[in-house]
Amino acid sequence: MNQTALVTVRDVTKLFSTGRSEVQALRGVTLDVRRGDFLALVGPSGSGKTTLLNLIGALDSATSGTITLLGRDLGAMNRRERAELRLHTIGFVFQAYNLIPVLTARENVEFVLELQGVGAERSERALRVLEELGLGELADRRANELSGGQQQRVAVARAVASRPALVLADEPTANLDTANAEVLMGLMRRLHDEHGMTFVFSTHDPRVVAHATRVVTLQDGRVAADEER
Amino acid sequence: MTLSPLGKYALRSLTRHSRRTLLSVLGIGIGCAVALIATAYIRGEGDLIERAAALSGTGHLRVSPAGWLPQRDDRLRLRDWQQALAIARQTPGVAAATPRARSNGLLAFGTRVAGVEIVGVDPATEPRLNRVVRSIGAGRYLRPDDRGATVIGQGVADRLRVRLDDELLVTVAARDGNLQSAILRIVGIVRTGSQTVDSTVCQIRLPELEALTGRPGAAEVAVLLERSEEMPAVQAALQKALPAGNVVHTWIEVLPELKASFDLDQGFTRLLIGTIILVVLLGITSAQLASVLERRREFAVLSALGMKELSIARLLLLEAGALGLLGAVTGLLLGVPVVYYLATVGIDYGAFVDADLAISNVLIDKVFHADMGFWLVPQALAIALGATLVATVYPVWFAAKTDPASALRVAQ
Repeated sequence: MNQTALVTVRDVTKLFSTGRSEVQALRGVTLDVRRGDFLALVGPSGSGKTTLLNLIGALDSATSGTITLLGRDLGAMNRRERAELRLHTIGFVFQAYNLIPVLTARENVEFVLELQGVGAERSERALRVLEELGLGELADRRANELSGGQQQRVAVARAVASRPALVLADEPTANLDTANAEVLMGLMRRLHDEHGMTFVFSTHDPRVVAHATRVVTLQDGRVAADEER
Repeated sequence: MTLSPLGKYALRSLTRHSRRTLLSVLGIGIGCAVALIATAYIRGEGDLIERAAALSGTGHLRVSPAGWLPQRDDRLRLRDWQQALAIARQTPGVAAATPRARSNGLLAFGTRVAGVEIVGVDPATEPRLNRVVRSIGAGRYLRPDDRGATVIGQGVADRLRVRLDDELLVTVAARDGNLQSAILRIVGIVRTGSQTVDSTVCQIRLPELEALTGRPGAAEVAVLLERSEEMPAVQAALQKALPAGNVVHTWIEVLPELKASFDLDQGFTRLLIGTIILVVLLGITSAQLASVLERRREFAVLSALGMKELSIARLLLLEAGALGLLGAVTGLLLGVPVVYYLATVGIDYGAFVDADLAISNVLIDKVFHADMGFWLVPQALAIALGATLVATVYPVWFAAKTDPASALRVAQ
């Protein structure tokens, strides 16, 4: 096993059964995600980007092959153990922001810290993270009062609040205009550069890919290219 | 107090669809109010039946000779009845006790004859335990110094076509098997308004019944308690203190038909409450499930963020708890005024039925009053919270088991 690898993916396949038909989303993917990677997963629709992110994020199980995160075999974990791993090790940023609409920006960040068992200091900590990402003035606004770009930046704050080992972002800029997409990618890149955080994100957008230090191309469920920049 | 984000999330979620929340609260409140009203009615009815039984002459407790209950043989006499009476009167919790004996007999006036149960009583204490004889329509009640006097019911008087001060010939089968007769002057006529009860009343002094039947002593001591809740404790204490050969029965054992009638009524009312709660329960389940289905993507995200099944369940149970609490408050707001009206004004069954309300010769009040008390608050909380939490079990399970990957995939 590669000692510097945060995530190892070995000969992973994923088969989806939908009624009578079956879809082979991944066909033997092998990949290492190293600590400090700022990795873009690219490829056409249906190439398996989201499926691979879900498997690495312990949201789903592989049909065959093995995936390890911090040396732990995800396939051998039960639901509870996977939830525990996601809570303490992985931060997620979704395409559709997915903030809790009835909570403020600060409460959204605080909510995750509460789940992690952070005590009374969580409110201060949530505010510090928001301020660090330039979102301090939005702290007390409810999620449904924020613009798409603002919501996505709060989603990033929520994902990184506990300094996870790995941040997974599925098409994080898909719903953003160019300016907001640039701001978001700049933010993620800053967190990577300043804190050494590992990011894996899927995207179609070449302007976003330009920020990546490593680009993995998927095609028909296989790794077609793995390019360092 | 500052709420945690989880608490805020749960409470604010109720405001997302305020109309649905309002309708759910109203549904729970109405169900809760109906259950409270029905429970108040049952409790009031229970008190009324118990009071009616106790004041019908039976008392809350009755001391009888051992072996009386299975055969109801009124020829049996108490062991050391005067001692038993004294013990009963001294027992803590006892408000009054009175001795009695009974014998079947014939009352005759001219050519007219009526069969009645003649009850030998202590005129000084009988009215305390028997509200029937307080309803004297003509004349007066028996006195301790009366000789050859009787008080009969209006129904008996009508059958014999007799009036106050008429003299009746009473005939009973004496202990030796011979018929014994005596002349009794009517000093009082009881008019309770119940044809059933008024057709059975015939009382004379206990010593005169002893002499007539040739059976000395009392056959029973009726015991009225200060507080009916103490019935089991006083029964046990009295049984322990009494001379051997005497047994203490509760009014429930003495008047099983009355208890059965109440139980039947109570059963139907509980069935009604159960049905209403079930309907409310299904309504809440449906509303909660709709809410969970709408938020399926949200639960998938929460799960992806690492929220465990138990925490998702806790979140939804908090929401349900708040809904139940609001439902309980609504139930109290809707139910208490009705319970207050039923407790103070009551329901007058006399306005609906002509027939008298008497079961097993026990006169039942025609005006039923509901029971009102602080018990309404915990009862409302138990009904509303209990029903809401039970109704939320399936939606909670459904939400907690949301598979994040497939829910997010479907949403995309």
